Amino acid sequence: MTAISAMTPAADRPARRWFAGVILATVALLASSASFVWWVDPFQQYHLSSKYPPRFYSLHHRYINPGLAKHQAYDTVVSGSSIMESTRNSVVARLCGGAAVNLSMPAMSASEQRLMLDTAFASRTLRRVIAVLDFNEFAGTPEERQDIAGPLPTYLYDRNPFNDLPYLLSWNVLLRSWRIFTDDHGERYTSDPDAPWYWGNLKRFGRDEVLRGLDLSHLNARFQQPQRTLAGMRASFEHNLLPLLRAHPQTEFDLVWPPYSILVWVDFAQRDQLDVSLAFKRYVFEATRGLPNVAITDLQSERSITHDLDRYTDLYHFDPAVNERLVEAVCSRRTAFDARDVDEAERSLREQVAAARTPAGLAQVVGARAQ
Amino acid sequence: MSPAARLLSRPVSVFNLARREPERRDVLFNSYDYLLYFLPLSLVGFFALGRRPTWAVAWLVAASLFFYAWWDSRYLPLILGSIAFNFLIGRALHRQTARARLILAGGIAGNLLLLGVFKYADFALSNVATLLGKPLPLPHLILPLGISFFTFTQIAYLVDVYRSKAREPSVANYALFVSFFPHLLAGPILHHSEMMPQFASPTNKRPQATNLAAGLFLLCIGLVKKVCFADQLAPLADAGFANPAGLSTLGAWLAVLAYTLQIYFDFSGYTDMALGAARMFNIQLPLNFDSPYHATNIREFWQRWHMTLSRFLREYLYIPLGGNRHGPWRTVLAIMATFLLGGLWHGASWTFVAWGAMHGAALVSYRAWERTGLRLPRPLAWAVTFLFVMVAWVFFRAQSLAAAAAMLRALSGANVVEGGAAAQTWLSQLAAALTPDAQSSATWLGTIMLASVVIAAMRRNSNVMAREFVPSWPTGIAVTLGLVFSVLQLGKVAPFIYFNF
Repeated sequence: MTAISAMTPAADRPARRWFAGVILATVALLASSASFVWWVDPFQQYHLSSKYPPRFYSLHHRYINPGLAKHQAYDTVVSGSSIMESTRNSVVARLCGGAAVNLSMPAMSASEQRLMLDTAFASRTLRRVIAVLDFNEFAGTPEERQDIAGPLPTYLYDRNPFNDLPYLLSWNVLLRSWRIFTDDHGERYTSDPDAPWYWGNLKRFGRDEVLRGLDLSHLNARFQQPQRTLAGMRASFEHNLLPLLRAHPQTEFDLVWPPYSILVWVDFAQRDQLDVSLAFKRYVFEATRGLPNVAITDLQSERSITHDLDRYTDLYHFDPAVNERLVEAVCSRRTAFDARDVDEAERSLREQVAAARTPAGLAQVVGARAQ
Repeated sequence: MSPAARLLSRPVSVFNLARREPERRDVLFNSYDYLLYFLPLSLVGFFALGRRPTWAVAWLVAASLFFYAWWDSRYLPLILGSIAFNFLIGRALHRQTARARLILAGGIAGNLLLLGVFKYADFALSNVATLLGKPLPLPHLILPLGISFFTFTQIAYLVDVYRSKAREPSVANYALFVSFFPHLLAGPILHHSEMMPQFASPTNKRPQATNLAAGLFLLCIGLVKKVCFADQLAPLADAGFANPAGLSTLGAWLAVLAYTLQIYFDFSGYTDMALGAARMFNIQLPLNFDSPYHATNIREFWQRWHMTLSRFLREYLYIPLGGNRHGPWRTVLAIMATFLLGGLWHGASWTFVAWGAMHGAALVSYRAWERTGLRLPRPLAWAVTFLFVMVAWVFFRAQSLAAAAAMLRALSGANVVEGGAAAQTWLSQLAAALTPDAQSSATWLGTIMLASVVIAAMRRNSNVMAREFVPSWPTGIAVTLGLVFSVLQLGKVAPFIYFNF
C-alpha cells in the first residue's frame, strides 16, 4: 500500500471548500436542532414547562423525573416504585406541610433510587424524604438497574451540560419538541404537574381484577419476581441508601414498608422468600436505629388494607386512597419504631401469612368467587 | 481449585477484574463523544503539532490510548504491556539471528497466552469440567476490547520481522502502529510494512483537504450503514434468535436474513468509519470488504469478506500449514484447520467452531466442484453462495448449538406455530414476522430490509464510491444530511457487533 500523496494547494481548493462547507452545514443544523430542543425542552431538563402545557410521556419517568428534581420547587420528596406513582404532590403537601415532588419510577432499583435522590439533594435543601421500600428493588447487584423504559439516562441526572447530547441531539426528542411546538397530540401523555405519573384512574380495582390469570398455588407465575438473598439485599442497602441517610442528617427520612396485599406474602412463603424478607426488614431497622433522622413506618401487617383485595389492581398495586393513607400514616404519627414494634409487626405478619396459606384462609382472602 | 485453574485465575487478582461489572463508557465510533469531541480534537491536535513529527506521533499515541482507556481504564496496562512485550521481542528478533526461531516462538506463545487467558479461559475450563464431570471455577474475565485484533496484528509483525520484512526501531512509531485508534478495536488487521511509511511521512502530518473530504465522505457512509441499516435490522434479528422455537418458517427466514444484512452493514459500516477516520489523518488503511454478498462462490466470498483477516489466516496459518503445495489431502487439512481456528478466533464457543467448520467444508467442496469443470449459471451460483453464507450465520449468531439447531428447525418449516401459517394470508404472515416488538413498524422494517438487500447485493460498495468521490454540491448535501440524520439517531446507541471478538 502506498502512502497517500499530497496535492497542490490549487487542486486542494474544491476539497477544502467542500469539507469546510459540510462541516459548517452539519454543525449549523445540529446546533439548530439542539437549540430548538433546549427551547421547547420536552423532558423539562433545563426549565419547567411554561410556554406549553407539560407532557409527561408514558413510561418516561427516568427521563423526566431528573428535570422535575432540578427545577420544581419542593422540600419534600416521595421516592418509590410504581406503587407510589399515584400519590399527588398536593396530598403530600396537605398532610405533611411544605411543598412536595413525587419522583417515583416503575420497577425502580435501589441504585436508581439513590441516583434520583442524589439529584434531588444536589438541587434542593430537603426537609423530608418519604422513601417507600420495595423488597424487589434490592434484588440483584448493588448497581442493578431496571431498563424497563430503556437504559437509565445517567447524563440527565448530573449538572454537566457537555454530556447532554443524547438528549439535545436525538431524533425522538426533536420529533417530540416539534409535536409540542405544533400542538400535535398524537402521543399518550398526561399534563398534570400535581401527579405526573398518576395511574389510579386508568386501572380497575377489585378482587376480580387481582385474581385474573392468577394461579393461587404458584402466585409468582404471572409476575416473575426475582429471587433475593439477604446478603445481596443488605449489600444493596448499604451501598445505596445507608450512605444517603448518613450524609444528610438535617433531612428527615421516612422509610416506609408499603402494604402489599397478603397474597404477596403468601407468594413469598411459596417460594421461600418469607424469612429473607422479614430478616431484611429487621436488618434495616438495626442499621438505621442509631440515626435520629430516620423513622420507619410499617404498614405491612395492616389487615384492614392487606386483606381487602378490592383495594388492589394486582398483588402489589393498591388504589390511590391507600397512597393517601400511607402518607398520612407517615406524617401524622412520627413515633419511634422500637425493637418491640419490629417483633410485634413480624409476629403479626407471620401469623397472617400462616393463616392465609391454609386452604380455608386462602379461600377467605380471595373470596367465594375465586374458589 | 485445580493447578490449571489457579494459574489461569491469577490475572484476576492482578487486574482485579473478577466478575465485577466495570463502569464502562463506550467511545464507539457511533457515539456523540467520538464524533463530536474525540475525533475533531484528535485531528486538530495532530495537525497543530504536525510541524514537529515526533510530537504529532506522541499526540496520536496518547489519543489512541485515551480512546482505549475511556472504555475501561483498567485495561490500559494490558495493551501497554502487550505493546512493550512485542516491541522488545521484535528488537530481539532483529538482533539475534541464531536464536530467532526460539524467540519468535516465545513471542507468539506470549501473545496466544494473553489471548487464551482473556478470551478462552472460561471456554477451555468449562469444556474440561464437562469432560471431567465436575465443576471447575471459571475466572469470568471481561474480554478486553479489540484484544483479538491487536494480538493478531502484533503476531503478524513478529513473523514479518523474523522474515526480515519489517523492522521498527522507534517505540513511539510501533505504539502508534498497534494502537492507532481507527483500527484498534475491530481492525482492519494491519501489516507493518503497509503502515509505517505512512506514519513516517512528514507530509502526512499536515492537513490535506482531499483526504479530509474523502475521509469524511467514507465516515458518513459507514455511519449511515450502521445507524440507518444495521441498527434498524437488529430488533428483527434479536427477536428471532431469542426465541427460534416460536418462529414460523417465514419468520425464521426473515430473522436470519435480517442478521445476514445486519452483520454486513454493521461490520462494513465500522470499517468504513475506520478507513474514513484514518484517511482524515492522511493514513490509508487496507480494504476489509469488497461487496461480499456479490460473491458467486465461497472462495470469492472470503476474498471479499473481512479481507485482512483472510489475508492473515492465509499468510500466517494456511501457507505455513502447507497450503496447496503438498497434495490434495494436506490442502484439505490446511483449509479445515485454518477455518476451524478462524472460527474460534471469532469467539470462545462451539458455535463459532461450527461456523468455521461449515465454511472450511464449503471451501473444500468448492475446490472439488471446480475440478469437475462444471459451471453454474451466475444467478444460481450467487443464490447458492448467498444461501449458504446466510444459513452459516445461524451458527455465528446463535447463543448455543442447541439454539442454532432450533433455528435450523424453524428454517426447515418444522415449527408448528399457534395461529399458524395456514390460517393467515402471506401478507399478514409477512407483516407479523416483520413486527418483532411493539415499537417496530412492519412497513418500515420491510422497506429497510428490501433496501439493504438491494444495496448489499447489487449496488457499488463504499470503497468504489470513495475512490470515485469528487467534491460537489450533491455529495455535500447528501453527506451533510447523512451526518445530521445519523447523529440524531445516536440516542439509542448499540455497540458494534465485532467489538465482541
